[in-house]
Amino acid sequence: MDLAAQLKLQAWLDGELPEAEARAVADWVAREPEASALAEELRQTRRALAGFEADLRLPESREFFWSKIEREIARRAAPAPASAPRGAAILAGLRRFLIPATAAALLVLAGAVLIRPGGAPTRGGGAEVEMALADAGAFTYCDYSAGTTLVWFSYPADN
Amino acid sequence: MIVAPWVWVSLALALLASAGFGAPPADMKLQAYLLWGTNDRNPPADRNYQPVNPDIRQKLKSLPLKWAHWYEVKRVDFQVAPGASREVTLSDKCQVKLRQLASAEVEVLLIGQGKEVMKRRQALPKGDLLVLGGNSPNATAWLVVLKRNE
Amino acid sequence: MTVKDYSSAEERALVRMAQQGDLAAFEELVARHRDKIYARAYSMMRHEQEALDLAQEAWVKGWQRLGQFQGDAGFGTWLTRIVINLCLDALRRQKRQRVESLEALAEESGGVERQMPVVAPNPTAGLERAELRQRIDQALGQLSHEHRTVLILNEFEEMDYKEIARTMGCSIGTVMSRLFYARRKLAALLTDLKKPDTT
Repeated sequence: MDLAAQLKLQAWLDGELPEAEARAVADWVAREPEASALAEELRQTRRALAGFEADLRLPESREFFWSKIEREIARRAAPAPASAPRGAAILAGLRRFLIPATAAALLVLAGAVLIRPGGAPTRGGGAEVEMALADAGAFTYCDYSAGTTLVWFSYPADN
Repeated sequence: MIVAPWVWVSLALALLASAGFGAPPADMKLQAYLLWGTNDRNPPADRNYQPVNPDIRQKLKSLPLKWAHWYEVKRVDFQVAPGASREVTLSDKCQVKLRQLASAEVEVLLIGQGKEVMKRRQALPKGDLLVLGGNSPNATAWLVVLKRNE
Repeated sequence: MTVKDYSSAEERALVRMAQQGDLAAFEELVARHRDKIYARAYSMMRHEQEALDLAQEAWVKGWQRLGQFQGDAGFGTWLTRIVINLCLDALRRQKRQRVESLEALAEESGGVERQMPVVAPNPTAGLERAELRQRIDQALGQLSHEHRTVLILNEFEEMDYKEIARTMGCSIGTVMSRLFYARRKLAALLTDLKKPDTT
């Protein structure tokens, strides 16, 4: 059986052939054991896939998922920030000096912190460890700029 | 632009001083809040809930939470020494145990209805918030907020 | 309108309210369709976080384009098409960044599916639903994204060949050969996964 015949058989199963052609393929499949076996395999695959997505669930609570959408809608609806003031040009000039100076100072500081016993407490430094002991559905949201970490539980509570 | 070497040295020294180089770990001063969130404008008439203080409210606004009004059910101020732990009771069913680790991190254990719900270890710099929360009945929410003051 | 009213409202009414700017009505629509939209994103992307991000983006875009929704198809179908297009864009971006596997190149050009032996009997017969789901999940994960997408659009989205070709930007012939390969490969993978010594 060549590829064209195989694809025609598949098109027949998918209801893509005009009536006359579909009848001809049906006769051929009834006659040919090879075609019949292939048709059965394709049907089995279709049956196996049926309902696959129905079991998939969004792994976030209704409230949490919506709150992210709502925030994003609000963010995109917000007016664009005002254009930079004239003073920005002066700041840009200063920045040319401040950037290398700050970078050098930070290098020194980083070295000092690394040799300091215990190190400094930092946000989002990869040192977070979490164990959900009784709630496998818990998830975490970090806003490092605001210094806030949220852990949301599916755990029911009535205070 | 050429910058004199003394500028770099002074800047580095100033930054090192501000980083508290070599300072020994101190007691952490914290606040634990139990909050209740709702979209109703008023708290329940039969409860003496107070609106949450403005700085906490502002921080909660930055989180992806849908509730507009937060009320303080209970607040506890407490202190933890380095290496020590402290258990705080926020309600009959909710306790938080916090331990200050040697690395200036905290380990937080949330206990709900007698069960250990979550154990988390993270850095908690001064002013930062760790917020634990979930849904409550009637489309409301509960939060346990831990704030480090010092 | 109270929360309870939204939850019992008809979908068309919710869409009308949302089109007039009622966010609470839109939230109810999100609640009703969020699993389906996420499921479609996950099927296509095979990555939980990417699927979550794209599902969220689809809802935000849905809100922004609500004025364009005419109600010819159901709201869920309309939103599903948005998430499919977002996933296709993301997959195209990913494809540009990676080197295609030799197998994927062979699939497109060599017609290896013709040589595959026909699978019989049914490799999924007698499986529990959870086990079947897990095996299909594994097998789908082993298909290239082009083959997986064409299968998803045909089997789950019930698109015909012409519509798939338009959505994926390829010819109907390519759709047919990709679909054929995907089905045959899936049957072979499900058989392999059934073998107890398969690792």
